[in-house]
Amino acid sequence: MTTIEKPAYKVIGTRPIRPDGVEKVTGKALYGADVHLPDLVHGAVLRSPHAHARIRSIDTSAAEALPSVLAVVTHADLPAVADTVIDTGEGVTRASDMSLNVLAGDKALYRGHAVAAVAATSAHEALAALDAIAVDYEPLPPVLSVRDAMRADAPLLDENRRTKQPDGALSDGPSNVAAHSRFEGGDLEAAFADADAVVEREFDTKMVHQGYIEPHNGTANWNPDGTLTVWTSTQGAFAVRAMLAELLRLPVSRIRVVPMEIGGGFGGKIGIYLEPLAALLSRECGRPVQLTMDRTDVFQATGPTSGGHMKGRLAVKDGVITAAEVSLAFEAGAFPGSPVMAGAMCMLSPYDVANFRVDAYDVVVNKPKVAAYRAPGAPNAAFCVEQLIDELAREANADPLAFRLRNSAREGTRMITGVAHPRIGHEETIGAARDSDHYQSPIEGPNRGRGVASGFWFNAGMQSSVVASVNPDGTVNLIEGSTDIGGTRASLAMQLAETLGIPYDDVRPTVADTDSVGHNDVTGGSRTAYASGQAVYEAGLDIQRQLVERAARLWECEAEDVSFVDGELRHASDADRRLTFAELAGKQMETGGPLQGRGSVVARSPGAAYGVHVVDVEVDPDTGKVDILRYTIAQDAGTAVHPAYVEGQMQGGVVQGIGWALNEEYYYNEDGRMENASFLDYRMPTSLDLPMIDTIIVEVPNPGHPYGVRGVGEVPIVPPLAAIANAIHDATGHRFTELPISPRRVVEELHHLR
Amino acid sequence: MATVIVPSPLRPLCEGAATVEAAGATLGELLRAVDAICPGFWERTVEDGRVRPELSIALNGHAHRYGLSEPIAPRDEVAIVPALGGGR
Repeated sequence: MTTIEKPAYKVIGTRPIRPDGVEKVTGKALYGADVHLPDLVHGAVLRSPHAHARIRSIDTSAAEALPSVLAVVTHADLPAVADTVIDTGEGVTRASDMSLNVLAGDKALYRGHAVAAVAATSAHEALAALDAIAVDYEPLPPVLSVRDAMRADAPLLDENRRTKQPDGALSDGPSNVAAHSRFEGGDLEAAFADADAVVEREFDTKMVHQGYIEPHNGTANWNPDGTLTVWTSTQGAFAVRAMLAELLRLPVSRIRVVPMEIGGGFGGKIGIYLEPLAALLSRECGRPVQLTMDRTDVFQATGPTSGGHMKGRLAVKDGVITAAEVSLAFEAGAFPGSPVMAGAMCMLSPYDVANFRVDAYDVVVNKPKVAAYRAPGAPNAAFCVEQLIDELAREANADPLAFRLRNSAREGTRMITGVAHPRIGHEETIGAARDSDHYQSPIEGPNRGRGVASGFWFNAGMQSSVVASVNPDGTVNLIEGSTDIGGTRASLAMQLAETLGIPYDDVRPTVADTDSVGHNDVTGGSRTAYASGQAVYEAGLDIQRQLVERAARLWECEAEDVSFVDGELRHASDADRRLTFAELAGKQMETGGPLQGRGSVVARSPGAAYGVHVVDVEVDPDTGKVDILRYTIAQDAGTAVHPAYVEGQMQGGVVQGIGWALNEEYYYNEDGRMENASFLDYRMPTSLDLPMIDTIIVEVPNPGHPYGVRGVGEVPIVPPLAAIANAIHDATGHRFTELPISPRRVVEELHHLR
Repeated sequence: MATVIVPSPLRPLCEGAATVEAAGATLGELLRAVDAICPGFWERTVEDGRVRPELSIALNGHAHRYGLSEPIAPRDEVAIVPALGGGR
């Protein structure tokens, strides 16, 4: 661990057991599918068998006539929504698109698109009733890649869609390109003309899924008084409430969302799919309704992340990257909203590049509407730029880490948006990777190679709110509203314990529903340990202030004469006057009543995250199999609140990146049917495929957080795609520009079979 | 005077300038002042009394969905950037 300017903390930096651990490992934690209510009935969803089809009619009468069927709904049962933009706190989306994604309107836009939903007395009866729904489809030719979708003669998903161009104007004619954005700076052509060397390549990546273990679920109870309660697996209960309010045209005050435990999300559990269907069905039949997905549904009908096509050209002069021209076109799926802008803004952010032009195209295709996936857009874009930088380093005869260090962004360097970096830790992170035992050890043997890559992610701040109630025994109940995906109950409890000077075990955190705590934005953007941590810190300070006032009252002195030090109240001039936190907690009734601290923040200074990865591979030229021999990740965590959970995030991000690089893809046939919609055929890496991922936590404290915390969850997935491709190039001399670098692709390209 | 960093798509409104100096006690006043220099700037950045939902404002390097009433100091640097989300 590299540490810079770190204070001596008592709780932060330790590795306690997570508060939710025992319930989870003993199977007692309650997930969405565990919800059982009186009179609960079950639902099922009819999904389009076509990737692109006009829906001429839907006849539900036969299904409704079945004795077991209690309700049937289609898009016609959804209220008309205004063409408003919903801010989920994680991103923005159009309400009309969301409504049409939840239940198809006059067109099915991808295979698996929900067309109707049924509630019946059992899950089996609901599934059987789907066969009784008659849908008259007019199949249309699907468009399945950005390159096909951008052709002038491409089939159109929406005949009314025009391209929003960089100048804000709409294109004259219809298009599958929803938006074209551009960033420009410097004198690009002059820089290319003056370069020592220029490298240029095109790259392609495929649609991939987050692969969370727990499928989506939603249970809804619509009461006769017009109130709605929803239990679901989500990264943001308040975002679900806001989206349901918009789609169902209900005031938020009528909706309560109960976040259940979550079995992974990675960005994919921010949008809603089943919740509005369960709500509509419950309203129709007057009973609580539960819907769950199977794995095929999850693959085909939730939000993976984009594949796309990228074209990059970079120039070097005297060892300095002088120019970058990059074009990114990302699949948005059936509705606009790919992460192409995030990719565009991240890919050059590790570096200081004076002259650039970046074009970003958001393209609709007949695939599921994409959702966020761990640093959305950044891994794809880094796959392009970090390979070109590897080539530039070779052109400059430079060590790839030394080349990155020389060209690194630092405080004050401007990103392509024109925004200057605050204090960042890319240089320190490169140094940690360079000095690692891994990088200092030679790699030897045939067909073996080493690759490196850097990654950047903005991290997010946004809104968080907590309440901390002091118990008479000196323990504290922490009520928070951030879904705990990666150990944030622990990291928030630790920050409160640190602030109050009490043991970690004395803080009991609970994730509450939307009626029970102030607004919290989603657990996304790597924001929770940072932003909710800031709210927790504010709550701790609030309790400190009240304790000081109460001690002053007891000691009949001024509050200025009392200080709070290491969990103790001390009198400034009388050393005998001391009270521990627990002692004063036991005197609440006589000092003013129940003691609560509140913290509500809009966190504005998240501090960016950087990671630098080093990977060794061995490539079997006969079978095409790529083995990861050794992997080291160095990452700036600001301050690692719980180092074990930081390391877990780093390792998890790397493993997902390895899967994306070597195996994972949505494999479509020409009709737009995903051919590998199960974990048997959608190959994700397991512990048996991989060595231990070595971690180096770099700590360059974030000046925007009281304890220096930066988000850590997303950036570790950014570099692996490129780092592995660079390592394979080092091993084979062949540059792979298309993902996944699967055994088949390796054999075909190495042996010129394509 | 605050410095406003003009994103490349809006530079045609500002005769190609990458930055504009303007005065305003709040973000809204500042954007109005820029609009006086670069006609059309307000409409491209503000909708229904708030910064357009697809945009974020970076104030002295920190991007956030600031309201138009956000106080602006004379030496502040304001950039208009696309709004983003995350996945973890």
